[in-house]
Amino acid sequence: MNVVVILLPPLVAAALACIPSGRRWWTPGVTLLSCLLVLVLAARLAWRIAAGTSVTAELGPGWSNWVMVDGLSALILLLIAVVATTAAIFSVGYMGHGERTPRRLRLYYANYNLFVFSMLAIPLLTEPTLVWIVVELTTLCSALLVSFENTHEALEAAWKYVVLSLMGAGFALFGFLLLFAAMHAGGAGPYTWTGLIAAAPTMPPLVAQTAFLVILIGLGTKVGLVPMHTWLPDAHSQAPSPVCALLSGIETTTILYVILRLFPVMQGVPGAHAETWALVLGLISVGTAALLLLQVTDYKRLFAFSTVEHMGIILAAVGLGTSASYGAMQQIVTHSVTKSFCFFAAGATLLAVGTRQIGSVRGLIRRAPAAGAALLLAGLAITGAPPLAVFLSEFAILRAGLVQRQYLVTSLLALFIVIAFFGVMLHVNRMVFGTAAGGQAEEDPPDETAALRFRLPLSCAIALLIAAIPVIVLGVYIPPPLDELLKQAAAALSR
Amino acid sequence: MSARIGFNLLQVLVVLAFAPLVSGVTSRLKEMVQSKRGPSIFQPYRDLRKLFHKDEIVSQDSSWIFRFTPYIVFVAPIFVALLIPVLTSYPLFFAFMGDMLGGGFVLALAGFFATLAAVDSANPYGPMGASRTRMVAFLAEPVFMIVFFTVSFVAGSTIPYIVQQKWVTPLANFFAPSHVLLVLAFILLILAEGGRIPVDNPTGHFELAMIDESKSLEYSGRGFALMKWGGQMKLFVLLCIFLNVLVTPWGLAAQQSLGAVLLAIPLVLFKIFCFVLLLVVIESSLAKLRLFRIVEFLGAAFITSVAAMIAQVFAA
Amino acid sequence: MQPLLENLNALAAGLFLLTAFGIVAMRQARACLHLFIAQSLLLAASAALLALRFHSPHLFGVALVNFITKPVIVPWLLRRIAPAEIYTRREIDQVLNIPTALSIALALAIGAYFLGIPLMQALPPEYRGPNVPIGIAGLFLGAFTLTVRREALPLLLGLLAMENGAFLAGISVARDLPVLVELAIATDGLIIVFIVGVLVRAVEQHVGTTAVGELASLKEAAAQAEGDVTP
Repeated sequence: MNVVVILLPPLVAAALACIPSGRRWWTPGVTLLSCLLVLVLAARLAWRIAAGTSVTAELGPGWSNWVMVDGLSALILLLIAVVATTAAIFSVGYMGHGERTPRRLRLYYANYNLFVFSMLAIPLLTEPTLVWIVVELTTLCSALLVSFENTHEALEAAWKYVVLSLMGAGFALFGFLLLFAAMHAGGAGPYTWTGLIAAAPTMPPLVAQTAFLVILIGLGTKVGLVPMHTWLPDAHSQAPSPVCALLSGIETTTILYVILRLFPVMQGVPGAHAETWALVLGLISVGTAALLLLQVTDYKRLFAFSTVEHMGIILAAVGLGTSASYGAMQQIVTHSVTKSFCFFAAGATLLAVGTRQIGSVRGLIRRAPAAGAALLLAGLAITGAPPLAVFLSEFAILRAGLVQRQYLVTSLLALFIVIAFFGVMLHVNRMVFGTAAGGQAEEDPPDETAALRFRLPLSCAIALLIAAIPVIVLGVYIPPPLDELLKQAAAALSR
Repeated sequence: MSARIGFNLLQVLVVLAFAPLVSGVTSRLKEMVQSKRGPSIFQPYRDLRKLFHKDEIVSQDSSWIFRFTPYIVFVAPIFVALLIPVLTSYPLFFAFMGDMLGGGFVLALAGFFATLAAVDSANPYGPMGASRTRMVAFLAEPVFMIVFFTVSFVAGSTIPYIVQQKWVTPLANFFAPSHVLLVLAFILLILAEGGRIPVDNPTGHFELAMIDESKSLEYSGRGFALMKWGGQMKLFVLLCIFLNVLVTPWGLAAQQSLGAVLLAIPLVLFKIFCFVLLLVVIESSLAKLRLFRIVEFLGAAFITSVAAMIAQVFAA
Repeated sequence: MQPLLENLNALAAGLFLLTAFGIVAMRQARACLHLFIAQSLLLAASAALLALRFHSPHLFGVALVNFITKPVIVPWLLRRIAPAEIYTRREIDQVLNIPTALSIALALAIGAYFLGIPLMQALPPEYRGPNVPIGIAGLFLGAFTLTVRREALPLLLGLLAMENGAFLAGISVARDLPVLVELAIATDGLIIVFIVGVLVRAVEQHVGTTAVGELASLKEAAAQAEGDVTP
């Protein structure tokens, strides 16, 4: 069956979600159904790739100039599907909690489906300029989602997001056109990822290097690399929480995937030093994010800075070379599932307490036990505490760094990870267990405490549970098909 | 040899004689565009003749600068007319005495003395206008420099006769980006240096708003006539530099005979009148800029000239 | 004929550069829109001239698509979507005063030339021409516009001008891109205008100003003073 079919459910759901119907379950139901379909299709695809069949060869020459699926693409597709499904489940409860008009809900779900559609298209396409177009589409589809709350801050965040992302995309367009010119200057070849890898030795080196740098800076703006990250804390904190999960969990990863596709190409160009650039930029991002994390006052911004940090870690891992590629792929998987869980926990907290300020939240475990427990687990998970998922992947990266004798890089990475751990856990600890400012825990009479307790909407709780499973499981056990997929994805990073 | 000296002097006479005519035609056309009848195109001649017959009143508090300046303002464009191609395309006797930069400095010298004279007379409006004139002039200088440097870079020399031969030689060069941008920058420069709208209103009588007109506020009689004539000649000379060197170096005498040179006179005047048409259109469609925006106007001219320089120097 | 075509193309590129400067410096929003339309027309002209020079019908298609979408459809779409107030704005006080902004823009343009010349020398000779350096300059100047302007319309036009610059460089070096891709890039520009227009309308409704570049409340210190946000 043609791989492109995976794109149909979100498109159809977006169209259907615009239809005004009297029933409350129509738009969320349609969205959920399409996400489940996408999940099934992506899982099937990933299973087949892990088992060794080459899907691209089945497509035939007409399609294979435009569409290609290998281990890396299948991994990203699977991640998108998983996070989109859990976020859709969370949205049901989250969006239903406030008073929103049906028209606003239709807008939300239509945009949600379009956003998922645009993200799904990126790993499938193999012609770089088409990929660029879809990258712009992701920005445009998510802009209205970021500004959904229509407050001053949300609109400002959406504006910054749009402007900076499109600015980066403008640079990236120039980079891709230069890459095209470099490829054709050396001799023709289809302008696809595999074609580029094959044509790499014949490209004029200066043009190829400039193109790589420009694309790295341009798309790095969307990934959130420092110093182009200034939009990320704003956009990823002002958006509604399920959208934050999508943005932080998979959108930045998907754009990073596009950058990762360039690395095998640059390995064939003499003097490109792509890995060095990746290492330096990655380290700068990790360090800056870890330090900036210490002074945030808004817990969603805390998680957003953590996204910047993890993107830096992944890029630095790629820069360390082929022995760290498996760790990088593992980090991609664990970061996606963990970050989405983090934002679900943050969303549950927001529903419970109504404010984003860290300083205003104390003793969450008493007021909203489910949200408090989730937040605690989220904080531990995202900073790499054992035996949760992120710990294993960070450990793999650090070990690969030691094996390569890159002691300075490894120690810097470890240092920044520890700083981030303390930063996040300090805040989370105070939020979950802390007493209110001014002394002892309040001695509320029991019935008032019970009345103050917050009930999380059912679908939010379900989403939290489902999202927690990979976070916990991947910390101790990687299922063999996933392991195989990760190996194939890591192999795609080198020639 | 003597023919060359003769032609050089003929050039000066042409500039002397026809500068008021250009001014008269400009005013008449501007009035006609506004649906008025306008003065006769020979009115500036009559004005000059009238002024030469009038008495001169000189303030007691003014110094030798005040008395000396009209002569400097009158003579400076004549000097420049000796240096630039007005009628001929081959260098004349005084051609190598100074290049375009030298011509620019001589004109700036005249402007400098006019400013000093305006301050000298202790009229309250004089120094105000003088400071504004200085602002416009110093902002216009870099544009002059960059334009001259760019054309000299191509021609290999700063002498206007040589530049004229090399600048627009193949016709396709007319559309070269550096050429078009230079022409744009120089037009903006002429508007600024000649005191035309949008920089300054040449027909305004409101002393508080005068920029270029203020230099002749205190003069009367012969001094005033010389200042007026000098101003008109300055514009004529600028137009000659613009048209004969940069834009349309055609229609100039190529042979050394008197007939060819005399034939060149109406051709040059025709080119100048075409530009006057453009000038009238610009003046009638724009409003005078506020003072602080003149800085931006000249900044735009500077940017255009530097863009021309980039296009020429880097892309060649 | 060939040198004339080359010179005309160079002229179109030179005027393109001038319009890029204009978008940085022009105070009135409406003047920026006119400059953007002129810039897009010059881009289409350059594409057409290159098509004539290299006998490539493909580039004619590019010229046609650019001619239709940017000068015609973008202003029409803006009028439908964006609030009418954005056309009447002018920036009275700027982030950087105009001569300083123009000087920095000039430095950026010269830098673009320094970047573009080695690139062109690394490519085969038929790719040489003013398009690549001026395209890079257009890219830089568009990015610079985004940092110095505050009003919504010039910011949007700065974004589109960046794409114009990248495209100007692209049409001279990447001549055989599939037509689908060119069409998609052009449509993408339209979607940008649509989304940004909707966003500006929302900003004007809820925040009350079209000076979107001025919104600056999301910082750590400001966040301390913010009250509760209900979901």
